[in-house]
Amino acid sequence: MTHGGSHPLLAPNLFEVCKVLTLAILGLVDVILDGLGGAIPPLADPLAGLSGFLLSPLIVALLTWLIAMTVMLLWATLFNLLTVMWIERKLYSRLQDRYGIMISIWSLPFWPFNRKDRPTHKGTGYLQNVADGVKLLQKENITPATADGAMFHASPVLIASSTLMIFVALPWSSGFYIAQLEFGLLFVLAAFSLAPFGILVAGWSANNKYTLVGGMRAAAQLMAYEIPMILAVIALTFSTGSLNLFEIVAQQDRPLAMLGPVAIPAWYAFGPQALGFLIFTVAIVAEMERIPFDIPEAEAELVEGWTTEYSGMRFGILFGFKWLRMIAGAAMIVIMYLGGWSGPVFATPIVAGVPIPIVPEEAWFLLKVWFLCVVFIWISWSVPRVRIDQILQIGWKRLVPFSLLAVLIGAGARVVGW
Amino acid sequence: MAVDWELVAFLVLSGIEVAGSVLVVVNKRLVRAAFWLAITLVTIGAIYLLFRSEFVFLIQILVYAGAVPVVLVFGIMLTRRKIMDEPASEGTP
Repeated sequence: MTHGGSHPLLAPNLFEVCKVLTLAILGLVDVILDGLGGAIPPLADPLAGLSGFLLSPLIVALLTWLIAMTVMLLWATLFNLLTVMWIERKLYSRLQDRYGIMISIWSLPFWPFNRKDRPTHKGTGYLQNVADGVKLLQKENITPATADGAMFHASPVLIASSTLMIFVALPWSSGFYIAQLEFGLLFVLAAFSLAPFGILVAGWSANNKYTLVGGMRAAAQLMAYEIPMILAVIALTFSTGSLNLFEIVAQQDRPLAMLGPVAIPAWYAFGPQALGFLIFTVAIVAEMERIPFDIPEAEAELVEGWTTEYSGMRFGILFGFKWLRMIAGAAMIVIMYLGGWSGPVFATPIVAGVPIPIVPEEAWFLLKVWFLCVVFIWISWSVPRVRIDQILQIGWKRLVPFSLLAVLIGAGARVVGW
Repeated sequence: MAVDWELVAFLVLSGIEVAGSVLVVVNKRLVRAAFWLAITLVTIGAIYLLFRSEFVFLIQILVYAGAVPVVLVFGIMLTRRKIMDEPASEGTP
C-alpha cells in the first residue's frame, strides 16, 4: 500500500515530534526523582511535588517549544550553514583548479583519528569551518577607540537576530516548521528587510572611512533592490491569491503538462511568473551582497567593506550569516517559484499505519535549496564585480520597470485565467 | 486575583514606545536618535499585533522598521561624525 503524495520525515510536525522527546526526557527525570525519593525518605514528598510540577501541561509545552526552536536553530546554523559554506569553499577551489580546504576529522591531534596510515591533510575539509569558528572565538573583541561603542556592538545583534527571525516562518517541509503563519511570505520579507538598518549602523558607528563607504553602498544597493523584489512578490500574489507559504507550495504540487511519461510540474517559474522569477532571483542575489553585486565589501578597494572593524566572533557571525541569508533567500525562491518540497515520489509505503517516506519532502527541499546555492556560488566565482553606479542603474532603470511589467503580466494572466 | 496579561503587555510596550519617542527627541547623536525611532516604530507594530491585526503589524515592520530608518540613516551618514559628538563646539572640519 502506498501513499499518494510525498510525505515529510517529521510528521505530523516539528512540535509533535519534539513533544515526544520532551516527554521521554521528563519521564527519565521522573524515574530518577522517584528513585531518589525512595532512597532518601525525608525528601520523598518535595521530590514527588517537583516531578508533578515538571509533568504539568504548561511546563511540557514550554520545554517543547524550547526544544523545537533549538532543533530549528541547530538545523539552520550547524547543519545547513556549515554545509553550504563547505560547498562554497570546496567548489570555488575546484573552479580555480586547486584542492581547497582539507581539514577533516582525520586531522584531530589525538589517537583514533591521527594515524600514521592516514595523512592529516587529505580529508574532505568539512571541519575547516568549525576550526575557523573556534579560532575566531579565541580572538580578542576589539572596539575601535573612536567608534560609537553601543551602536557598534548593537548592530551585529540586530543583523544576527533579524536573520534568525526568518527561520521562524520558513518551513523546510509540510511538517518541519516552527509556526504556520497566515502571512508567512510577508513575515519572511519583513525579517529580510530589517538587516539593512543594522548594516548601515555598523558601517557608520565604526568611524572608519572604508566601513562608511561600504555601509553607504550597501544602503543604496539594498534600497534599490528591495523594490523590484517586493513588486515581484506582488506579481506572484496575483497567481497565488495567498501569502501563506504552505498554500503556495500546495498550489504548485500538480502536473502542468505531460511530455510522454514525464510530468512537468506546475511550478510558478514556468507560467506567467517567469519574468517575476528572474527579477526575484537577481534581487535576492543583490540582497545577500554576493558577486556580481558585492561592491559594499569590495575587498580590493574597501578592505572588507562595512565589516572591516569587527574582530573575533562578531566578525565570524556577520561573515557566516551572509551564508545563512543566502540559504534563506534560496529557500524563498524554491518555495515561491520552484515547487517547494513537492517532488516526484517513487513510493511511500505505509507500514502499520505509519507512512515511511523513502525520499521525504525535506530531501527534495534541501536538494533544490543546495542546488540554487551552488548556482549562486558558480555565478559569483565566474563573473566580475559590477561598479556601484552600474548596480544602481540596473536596479532602478532596468529591474523596477521590468518588475512593473511582471505585475502587469501577472494581473493579465489572472484576468484571462491562465 | 487574575492578571490581565494583555494589559500588562500593552503597558510595557507603550512604556517602551513613550520612552523611545522621548529619546528620539532628546538624543544629541543623530544615529542613536534614528535607532530609537526604529525601536518606537517596532513597538507600535507590536501593539498592532496585540490588537490581532497581523497584516498591519507585518506592513509596519516592512515599511516603518525596514525602509524608513534606512532612508533616515542614509541621510545622516552624509553628515560628519565630529559634528554629532560635540554639538556645541564649532570645531575644524
